[in-house]
Parts: sequence; C-alpha cells; structure tokens
Amino acid sequence: MTDQITDRAPSDPQPEDGGGRRDPLSMLFQPGAWRIEKRLVVRPWHEFITLIAALVAAVAIIAGLVLVIGKSPADSFAALYNGAFGTRESTLETLVQATPLILTGLAAAIAFRAGVWNIGGEGQFFAGVMGTWFVYDLWGGLPAPLLFVLMFIFAALAGAAWASVASGLLVRYGTNEILTTVMLNFVILYILSYLLAGPWQSPDTFYYQTQRMADNTYLPRFFSVSRLHWGFAIALLAALAVYWLIRRTTLGYEIRGIGSNMVASRYKGIRVGTVTLATMAISGALAGIAGFGELLGLHHRVQLDIAEGIGFTGIIIALVARLHPLGVIVAAILFGALVNGSTAMQYETGIPKALVFVIEGTTLALVLIAAMVSRYRIRKTG
Amino acid sequence: MTETILAVDRVTKRFPGVIANDAVTVDIRRGEIHCVLGENGAGKTTLADVLYGVYRPDEGTVTLNGEPLELHTPRDAIAAGIGMVHQHFELVPPMSVVENVVIGTSASQWLDLSEVRDRLNEFFHNYDVEIDPDAEVGRLSVGEQQWVEIFKTLYFGVEVLILDEPTAVLTPQGVQELFRILRRMRDEGLTIILITHKLKEVMELSDRVTVLRLGKVVGTVNTADVQMRDLAQMMVGREVLFQFDKERSDPGEPVLEVDGIHLPSVTGRGSLKGLSLTVCAGEVVGLAGVSGNGQNALFDALVGVEKPSSGDIRIGGVDTAELSANRIAQLGMASVPADRIAQGLLMDFKVKENLVLGRHRSNTFSRGGLLNRGAIDGFASKSIEGFDIRTPSASQSTRTLSGGNLQKVIMARELSGEPKLLVAHQPTRGLDISASEYVRRRLLEERDRGAAVLLMSEDLDEIFQLSDRIAVIYDGRIVSETTPEQADLESLGLSMAGADSVDVGSAS
Repeated sequence: MTDQITDRAPSDPQPEDGGGRRDPLSMLFQPGAWRIEKRLVVRPWHEFITLIAALVAAVAIIAGLVLVIGKSPADSFAALYNGAFGTRESTLETLVQATPLILTGLAAAIAFRAGVWNIGGEGQFFAGVMGTWFVYDLWGGLPAPLLFVLMFIFAALAGAAWASVASGLLVRYGTNEILTTVMLNFVILYILSYLLAGPWQSPDTFYYQTQRMADNTYLPRFFSVSRLHWGFAIALLAALAVYWLIRRTTLGYEIRGIGSNMVASRYKGIRVGTVTLATMAISGALAGIAGFGELLGLHHRVQLDIAEGIGFTGIIIALVARLHPLGVIVAAILFGALVNGSTAMQYETGIPKALVFVIEGTTLALVLIAAMVSRYRIRKTG
Repeated sequence: MTETILAVDRVTKRFPGVIANDAVTVDIRRGEIHCVLGENGAGKTTLADVLYGVYRPDEGTVTLNGEPLELHTPRDAIAAGIGMVHQHFELVPPMSVVENVVIGTSASQWLDLSEVRDRLNEFFHNYDVEIDPDAEVGRLSVGEQQWVEIFKTLYFGVEVLILDEPTAVLTPQGVQELFRILRRMRDEGLTIILITHKLKEVMELSDRVTVLRLGKVVGTVNTADVQMRDLAQMMVGREVLFQFDKERSDPGEPVLEVDGIHLPSVTGRGSLKGLSLTVCAGEVVGLAGVSGNGQNALFDALVGVEKPSSGDIRIGGVDTAELSANRIAQLGMASVPADRIAQGLLMDFKVKENLVLGRHRSNTFSRGGLLNRGAIDGFASKSIEGFDIRTPSASQSTRTLSGGNLQKVIMARELSGEPKLLVAHQPTRGLDISASEYVRRRLLEERDRGAAVLLMSEDLDEIFQLSDRIAVIYDGRIVSETTPEQADLESLGLSMAGADSVDVGSAS
C-alpha cells in the first residue's frame, strides 16, 4: 500500500496513510509515545467545540489587549454589546451593518466551496454599485418598479462580469485567480475614480462623487426609526437561495464536487471549467447585489469609500462560517455587531474603534486554527 | 565484504487493514549494493521508510554496526549515518546546488558557502560528474537533480544510502550513468540499498538481492547465483493462485478499438507510443505490465480526460476523439480508476452522492437541474444492498468507509448502467482477499453478461485468473499478446521487464 501512486489532490487526506507521512503536524510532533494524527472523520461536535474554544480565546486575547491599554475589559465589552444590541435601534443598526456582509460572505463562501479563491469581492461590489448607477444614469426616468428590476439585474450582471474576467483567465490560461481577483479590485477602483472625476461627477461639487439619487430609488425601510432597508431581506433570501443551490441542484453538486476533488470530478465527466465559470459568475453577482443594496439602501450616491472593506470582510465571514450559507448570516451579524458596537465603545470608554480590526483578525486566525485542530487528535501509541 | 552493517530483525509494520512488513529479516553487508525487489504493494517502500525513520516498526529491531537503532525522524537516521533519496526529490528548485546541500544542515547561521562549494567540487570531480555548484537546481536535468540529492546525502557523511526506485525518472543513458556512480561509491566503501521492481536493474547492478512479496521476505540470494527468471518467480509467487470456475469466453463484436494512439507525457502520468488494442464483447483482456509503462496514460485516454495526439479510439464503433468524458461514459463505458480515493470518489460527499457521481445529471437522478433526491435515495439503498456495501447509512460520509467498501461504491456506481465496456485499472490493489475476490467475481459476471472488459493490473495472478487474452504493455506500447493457456510466467515476466523491446536492448 505504501507503493501507491502519489498522484492525489493536495487537499485530499489519506485515510489509509497510517503514519501520517506527508503530514506536517505529525512530522513536527512525535514526542515519545504520544502522537498527533489526522482524524478520519471530523464530527460536527468536534468542530463546534473547537469553534467555541476559538471564540473564547479571542475574547481572552482582546480582554488582555484592553487591559494593556489600561481600560476595564468588562466595561469595554459591556459598551460594545450595548452599542450592538443594547436597544431596539442599535440591534436594527447592527443588521444594517450585517446586510452587505451577508452577501459578500455568500459570494466568498460559494466560490471557496468550489475551491476557487475569489478574493475580489470588493471589486465585484464596486461593479455592482457601478451597474446600478449606470442604469439610473441612463434610464432614471423609468417607472420605479421597472427601474428597480433593471438596476438589480445590472448590478448582478456587472459583479458577475467582473468576476468572470478572473475566472475566464483561470479557465483559459490557468492564471492564479487569487492574484487576478486581488488586482482587479484595484483596476475597478481606478476606473471608478476616472468616472467620478469625469462623466459621472456631480456638476455641483468638487468632490469625486455622483449626484444624489432621486427619492423614488431609495430602497424602502422596515421601521421608520432605523435605517434597516429591504436589502436585508434580499440578503436573507440570497442566503437561502445559495443554500438551496448548493444542496439541491445538480450545479451545486458539481460545485461541491470540484471543490472536494477536482481530479475525480474530471474523471467522472464534470466540466470543471464550466462549473468554475458558473460559480464565479454567481459569486460576483452576489457581491454586486451587495453593492446595489448599499447604494440604494444607504448611500444614494456613488463615492469611492462606499465599500469600506465590505468585500474583504466577506472573506473572513465565509471562513468563520465554515462556508455554510446559513452560517454566513450568523457570522455576518456577529461582525456587523462588532462594527456597530465599536462606535459606542469608543464613545464610552475611549478605546479606539480600530480595535475592531484587531478583533476581526484575531477571531479569524483563531477560527482557522480551530478548524485545523479539529481535524487532528492526540493518541497514545504503543 | 561479509561484515553486517545493518541488520533488520523480524520487523513488522502494520497499517489499518494491511500488514506492510511481516517479520522482515534482512542483513545488509558493508560495502555492498543490495537490491530490495518486489511488486507494488510488497512492502519495499515501507521497509525503506522504517530504516529512514519515517515509520517506527510495530515489532522487531534494526541494528546499525551492532548498535540498536531508535529512529524517530529522518533526522535521527541521517545522524546515525543512513541517508535516503526518494522517488520524488526534496530539492528547492530556485536555489543553487550549494544552497540545496546546506539547506538541511543545522549549521551556524554564518555559513561558509565557499567551503561547501570546494567539497562539492571535489565530490563531482571524483565521480566525473559535471555540475556547476552554483547552478540553479531547477535548471538541471532530472538526472543531475538526482545526483544533487545523492551528493547532498553524502555530504552529511552517511554510511548507508537508500535509493527508492531511482531509475523510474531516468532515461536509459541516465540509468547507466547512475549505475556507474553507484558502483564507484560502493567500491569506496559506501553501502547502498536499492529499492526496485525492475529485474534487469537487479541483475545488472546488485551484489545481493532480497525479494519481498506481500510484506514477507521470500529470500535473500547472491545475484551471481540466480537467473532473471528465478527472481521473477520469487517476486510473483505462482503458488498462491486462486481458481475461478470460469466458462470459456465467447467473444462477440469488437467494442473497444484502440488504433496506434500516441499521448505525450505532459501530466506526469506516462506516455503512449503507438498503442493498439482491441477488446470484444464478452471477453476479458488482461493488460499486464510494470507500473509506469503507460497504463495511467491509457486509462486517461480511454476515459477521455486526455486526448491522444494521434491515433483513434473507438467505442462501439464511435470515434471518441471529439467527445467529452461525460459523452464517452454515455457510450456505455464504465471505468474503475487505479487510485480510487484520488480519481474515483469525492471523499467529503455522502455515500449516496458518490453512488450517482457522473450520472447525477441523467434523467434518472435529476429533473430540470434539481437533484431527484427520492431517486438517489432509492438507488443508493438498492446499491448498498446489492453490492453489500458496509456503511451505517447511505448518508454516511464516504471518508469513513474501508478500502474494500470504497471500491464497492465505485463498482456499484460503474456497473449500474450495464456498461458495454468496463475499464478496470488495478481494481483490487490494496484490498483484502475477500474484497478482491468479490471484485474479480463481479468483473467475470460483467463479461458473462456480454460486456467487454479491459483489466489493467500489475498483479499477474489476477491477470491469469480473469483474462481470456493477455497483452503486455511496455514503454507505451503493446509488446506481446498471448492467452493464459499459452503463457508461461517467466516469458511474461521478461516481456514485462522489457526483454522483448528492441529499444531497451540497444540502450543497455
């Protein structure tokens, strides 16, 4: 058995590989009679326990940081929590923050499920914003329902098209999609800079921004007191749709298939290139729809700082949610709460808002470590 | 010459479901070239890994120069004086030869590269090897990279050098050059252990040879005392043949016609050089051959994931040149890949999902782009029962299944469509006896049903048991054809080793 051909997909663990030979962790730790080895099956409760442990560890580390600054961790966490969920208004505002994150989180999750590393959510978000504005700019006089539908479709198409630049290069030439998606983020930002300094610039300002959109293009809000708009409902529906797509459709089966084992998928007749293109188009469309929601729900004019890293945070959310579409909702609300609560924390305790980025980064690192740790066990060997 | 340097005493190493080394005892003498010969899966590499500290033996001991060896890692092995060159090199391509040599040392951070360079130059000069120590390793030929690996090991001052299938990546000329260097090293006192399954190399190079079969030592002999056919017999071991009550076949129309296909080796899965082969309905054609002679490339070409650069493949008379893997499967071709985990299954998927892989878009299992879960569940429970797949449920993660059950999942999936053509590559590799028997019986049932079966196997017993005709593949071509009745093991073994091939004869 050890003479077997080693032509395996890199991500494919080898259950019969008793010694864990190509396994860096077990090569590293071989202390006497104890050894760390790969689990054959990772059960949900393994993952759950390590996830909880990671979150507890993240809280502990952040508490330590707050102590170093010379503040009380308890007060700070209380301020953070109250800012995020303390009142009905703050809870609703947390959901406002979570809305685009759900969509960009889904965008990353579906691509990662297929093993395609779309790091271009930010750029595809911009594409969605631009697609929306493009329709408004051209056909702003159309009746509102029709205009909404057109703006939605164009936002999704623009996001999909921008993502497809990277996936097209990947499928056709094997270009690394991580590099292309990252760089396309910059490209579209500069295209937008040009448009905002030229054709799309509002005539009554020197700022790089468009005119304010007409009131009838505002996404309706749920409660008069909050900014929570229909984009949140769209995001929830999108999460359900992605869940359904992945579990119930043949395309979803193939997306998971190429992500699980591209070689075997190819041998069994799945068109890896086609599925990759489809996945990236869906992923880009989701990020584009996030742009649509933010523009029509909150900003109502196109500016360069409209994204605020929403596309990148989506990547973190997807990973924290272990690429589960419904988990993305939970993770996005968690991160939305961080963003929202941190303002109150800064106001009440004087801790800089930037701590949120530390929290995000720490949480991601620990969750990723937890994901790996849950795949191993420590066993006593004879 | 008779002093024992390395003594392996009743070493046993078990893996889940298989005993890779079963009380293996070998004495390696100082200053000899000792070949360890055996078929794939005989336990050669496991033995080497035990000697190199990759695995620890479950039982038994290894002594070096009379001292018991306690190896925890390869680093311990190197410190003790045992070095190993793997089939896959462990070099850093963008770095220079010198840098690659020092990279494994834990010397102080102030490295004196010029001293290393001088020593390397001395080595190279000594062995008439022309390599620039400052050359980038990635730009060297495969043969030169192998020398760097060998010299790297020597630089650590090892006494025993283990080489795992070193000639697999070399041209015939490269092999001769390697052998020349190895002989020189032996003459200067180095002990060399060479892992191989190539009889010719053993005969040409070694002083003594130990033959392994199914994890056990068949014997250790002086190379000068034996003929190639003796070794072939020891290696293959005819007496364990199982008997199947096999009806004579009644071949019908040709189903698979392969006509002079060439496939360059771009994917590292071997190449085809004008291979032709016909398999008719209702017969099993056994394709015998040592691994690495084009079996992988042939499998890829038949399945349709690689397209031959010239020549034709016809299935049921239809040319498959322009067809996707999916369309080829729809012609009635089923395939059982050699590496079931890497090529045949999605280990993250549920058992029932794997049972429909490839047919998940068919009308049976989907409707309007949606998976037909009822049909999939029904088919899964039928398959699990019909093929006796041992799994707690159809929704179980495939990863938890044993090797035999994984193969049953693939068999159930591939045979469910009543294929016209079945291509099985190493269908019983790594399986225990009962699972192997089950798979073999199923293959014969397919034949009796009227399917054309192409069985590619390195297990000659299996080939003899199941085949109606036997073809031998060597270096990307069919070099001989025979029947089990006419064939004798020795001539078959020789032809698998390339004795029939004109090319090899002239190169050596």
